[in-house]
Amino acid sequence: MMAKLRGGAWLGLLPPLIVLIVWETMAEAGRLPDYLPAPSIIARQTLTMLASGELMRHIGVSLFQALSGFAIGAFFGTVLGLLSGALRPVDRFYEPLISLTYPVPKIALLPLIFAWFGLGDLSKIVTITISVFYPIYISALAGAKSVSRVHVWAARNMGASATQIIWRVLLPTALPQIFTGLRIGLALSFVVMFVAEMVESSVGLGYLILFAEQNLRFDMMYVAIVSIGIIGFSADFLLRQIGKRLLVGQLTATEIRR
Amino acid sequence: MPAPIIIVRGLCKRFSRGGKNVDAIRDFNLEISEGEFIAIVGPSGCGKSTFLHMVGGFEPITEGELLVEGHPVAGPGPDRGMVFQEFALFPWRTVAENVAWGLEIQARSRSDRVAIVERLLAKVGLTHFRDHYPAELSGGMKQRVAIARTLAFEPRILLMDEPFGALDAQNRELMQEELQTIWNETRKTVIFITHDIEEAIYLADRVIVFSARPGRTKADIPIDLPRPRDLEVKKSTAYFDYRNQIWDLLRDEVLRARAEFA
Repeated sequence: MMAKLRGGAWLGLLPPLIVLIVWETMAEAGRLPDYLPAPSIIARQTLTMLASGELMRHIGVSLFQALSGFAIGAFFGTVLGLLSGALRPVDRFYEPLISLTYPVPKIALLPLIFAWFGLGDLSKIVTITISVFYPIYISALAGAKSVSRVHVWAARNMGASATQIIWRVLLPTALPQIFTGLRIGLALSFVVMFVAEMVESSVGLGYLILFAEQNLRFDMMYVAIVSIGIIGFSADFLLRQIGKRLLVGQLTATEIRR
Repeated sequence: MPAPIIIVRGLCKRFSRGGKNVDAIRDFNLEISEGEFIAIVGPSGCGKSTFLHMVGGFEPITEGELLVEGHPVAGPGPDRGMVFQEFALFPWRTVAENVAWGLEIQARSRSDRVAIVERLLAKVGLTHFRDHYPAELSGGMKQRVAIARTLAFEPRILLMDEPFGALDAQNRELMQEELQTIWNETRKTVIFITHDIEEAIYLADRVIVFSARPGRTKADIPIDLPRPRDLEVKKSTAYFDYRNQIWDLLRDEVLRARAEFA
C-alpha cells in the first residue's frame, strides 16, 4: 500500500482534477456567476484563439520580452555576482549601490523607464532585466563566497590564473545557488512582464487580460491566465532539468537527487 | 653531494591576532636533499602546517630564507604539488576529470591527458571509478584521487598536509603502504606533515620533531630502516626504539603546548 502511494506522481493531479469537475458541474447547473465560466467554455475559447493564431501572437510577444529580459539579467547577475565574490574591490564598489536599490520594487521604475526608453518593447525588457538581476546577483555572490579555501589553493597549486579560478572553481561552486537565483528570477520575469503589459501595451498576455476585463470577456481572461501558468511551469521545469544535469556531482553530495 | 632542493634558514612566521603578534615559527632551519622523504611531527598548533603552506607559496614568510631549487618561494606553483587533509577534490567533476584538472590548466593535448589520467588511475587502483563523483567515494579513495591529481602535473616536490588524518585506522595503513610504493617508483622529494609518529617512522627518511609554538626543530632523527619497508617493519625493535625516542621528545612539547593554551 505505502509502496504504491510513494511511487504515485498522479497523486498531485488529484486536487486540480476534483476542482475542475466540481467547477464544471456547478457551472453547467448555472450556479456560478459570470466571472467563473465553465472550464469547457474556457477550453473552447482557447482552441478558437489558437486556431485564429491570436493566442500565439500574444504568447510570442510576452515570451520574447520575458525571456530576453531574463537572459540579459541572468548574464549580468551571474558575471557581476561572481566577480564581486572573487574580488573584494568589486564587492566594495557595488555593495552600497546594490543594497540601496535592492528593496525598491523595480516595477516602480516603469514610468521612468518609459520616459527614457519609450513606450515599446525595449522599456519592458529593461524593467525585466533590472528585476531579474538582483536575485541572481545576490545568489551568485553568496555562492562564490562559499568557496572553500582548499579548492582555491588546489587550483592555484596547479597553476590556475585568477580568471581560470573564477570560471573553473567559483562558477561551479556557486552554480547550485545560481540556479536557485535563476528560478526566482524566472518567476519574477513573468510577473514584471505581466504588469508592464497591463500598464502599456497593445499585444501580449498582460494586455489580453486587460482587454478581456474591459470587454467583460471572462473566458478570454482565463485563457491568458492558463497560458501564463503553463508557460511559467514549463520554463521552470526546463530550468530544473538543466540544473539536475549540470549539478549531478554536487547533488550526489547532498543526497537530494531524486 | 648536490645542493639541497629545499633550504630553510632562520625562518620566522609572525601572525598578528587582535593587535598582538604571535610567532608561529621562529628561527627554523632545515635542508632537504632531492628525493628525500621528510616527515614533520609536532604538537597541534606548533606551526608545522604553516611551514608547509609557506613552502607551497600560500603564505608569505615574515623573516629568513626559504629557497626551493635555489630560488626564494614567490607563490604557488606546480613544481610543488600539495595534497590536503580535506582532499580538496572538485565535487562537480568525476574522478577522471579531477585528475585531468591540472593538465587542462597546462593546456596539454587531449590524448596526453587521457593517457596520463589512465596511467595514474591504474596506479592508485581506481580505474573502475573513473566516472564516479567524489561524493560517491570513501575517504581513502578520495585521497587516492587527490594524490593522482597531484602526481598528474608532475611536481618535483610533494607537500602533504596530514593527508591521512581524516581516514580510519585500516585505511590509513593501506594508504601508507600505497604511498610508499608510489614513492619507491617516483623518488620525489616529500614533506609529510603528520601527528602520527608511527606513520612518520614508517614512511620517512628523516623525522623532524617540531617544538611547541613558536615552532622550530627540536630534533632531527634519521630513520635507518631498510627499504622497501613492509608493514612487518612496524614490529621490529629498531622501529620500537624510534617510536619511544620520538614519543618522549614529543611528550614534553605536547605538555608545554597544553600548558600554554590552558
